[in-house]
Amino acid sequence: MAKMGMVFDLKACIGCNACVIACKQENSLPDGVFFTKTLSEEYGVFPMANRVYIPTICNHCEDAPCEKVCPSGATYTREDGIVMVDDDKCIGCSSCSVACPYDQRTQMDAENFLKGLFGTGEITPFEEQGYGRYTPGTVTKCDFCSQRVDVGLDPACVVTCPTNARIFGDLDNPDSAPAKMIRERHGRPPMPEKNTKPKVFYVN
Amino acid sequence: MAITDKVFSGDTLRVGYRFQRHWDNSMAYAFFFAEVGGGLFFVSLLLNSVMGMVLGLIMVSTGKPYFHLAHMGVPTKAWRAMLRPDRSWISRGLLGLGAMIGTGVLYVIALSFGDQLGIAADSGLVWLLKVSSAVFCLVVMSYQGFAMSHSSAISIWNSAIMPMSSLLYSLTIGVAVAMVIVSDDQANSLAGTQLLLFMGLGIMHLMFLHGGWHGSPGAKTSVELLLQTLYTKWYLGLVIAIGIILPALLLWAMPGSKVVAIIAAASTLAGFLAWRILIFKIGVYEPIMSMNPFHTAN
Repeated sequence: MAKMGMVFDLKACIGCNACVIACKQENSLPDGVFFTKTLSEEYGVFPMANRVYIPTICNHCEDAPCEKVCPSGATYTREDGIVMVDDDKCIGCSSCSVACPYDQRTQMDAENFLKGLFGTGEITPFEEQGYGRYTPGTVTKCDFCSQRVDVGLDPACVVTCPTNARIFGDLDNPDSAPAKMIRERHGRPPMPEKNTKPKVFYVN
Repeated sequence: MAITDKVFSGDTLRVGYRFQRHWDNSMAYAFFFAEVGGGLFFVSLLLNSVMGMVLGLIMVSTGKPYFHLAHMGVPTKAWRAMLRPDRSWISRGLLGLGAMIGTGVLYVIALSFGDQLGIAADSGLVWLLKVSSAVFCLVVMSYQGFAMSHSSAISIWNSAIMPMSSLLYSLTIGVAVAMVIVSDDQANSLAGTQLLLFMGLGIMHLMFLHGGWHGSPGAKTSVELLLQTLYTKWYLGLVIAIGIILPALLLWAMPGSKVVAIIAAASTLAGFLAWRILIFKIGVYEPIMSMNPFHTAN
């Protein structure tokens, strides 16, 4: 069985945020809601100052703490390892948000859908057609664009990345691009001390 | 690294500590009502105080669900929260809450109207109701602490001290309020127990601070937030001084006074409410990852 995962190449990421925009567009995310973020960190002192960009996303953990605490059974893991949220079952208690060490879950408050992307209070036709997929009050997160994965496509953030800093594929297949990269460049998961077994890795 | 040098990224796109913001004051009030009501019911059950039991049941069955539903994104589906007792403390707690209210109400009815209903107070049924409501009440008094300690994301919560805190505070508040309700004789007999519970709370707070300070960077940051920021005056002033030291001193100095019992109960309640709110406010997620070779998380 496949184990879908992602690798972030921190040497390649230039912090352009194209992935963030692609994600918002693909998932019709309202103002202020992100399924992926590119964080930045500065360090050192001039003339040795430096900045690194760190993309973040739901890590689709094998031992997902969000799934363990969900009281309604809304969070579940698909056979290909993608951790999903069933809108119909979610009660919006935020237990999963509190349990996720990566802070990757967002509650879709009803107000999120009323502001409009331009802050005018008017909903554009794009938003109108996109917001229908969400149930106000429920908790959502990245699902690796499961609707795209189901038809053999890569997630929107991956295909949009101009520097190939995001590599997506089956981690169980030793010949897949992400598996090779993790092996050859010593990929490491975020916060391994939390014992969640993330399926997202970083290489530098 | 001092607390003022740490990066708190909030909603910005920087690597840093992020405050827990998913469980807000509504949840703090829900936790407060469950633990106060549960503690009062439990202590009243031991003292056979029907008034205390009724008050406890009212708090648990009104305040707790009201604030929980106020927090919930889809309150119309709240019943679904009890579907996974095999893995979720929220489910276990909700089932325990329902069972406590059910058996508790039946016990109060049997105790108050047993004669009219033909149920002897010393019958096996009444005894069973008393024991089962006490057991379910213990679940309600402690499950919120387990729900918090189960989360490894917020390091300061991820500790056995959380359920201990829930149970200890619940018992202390239960005794404090019961001392106001019950007869003077019963209240006097509780004074010694209450002083021991205050001592227990003091030790629990010391363990909490010590464990957090020497724990992970996130836990240490939370303790620093309590002791070195604008939360300090609330923690040391309200939670510790007014919530524990003041009522303990009053009860030690004037154990038989009803007025003292009322003041002690009010100050303990105020301190506990502040503790419930603060424990949510100081919860932080640790930085997801740092590529900074000079990064020192603590």
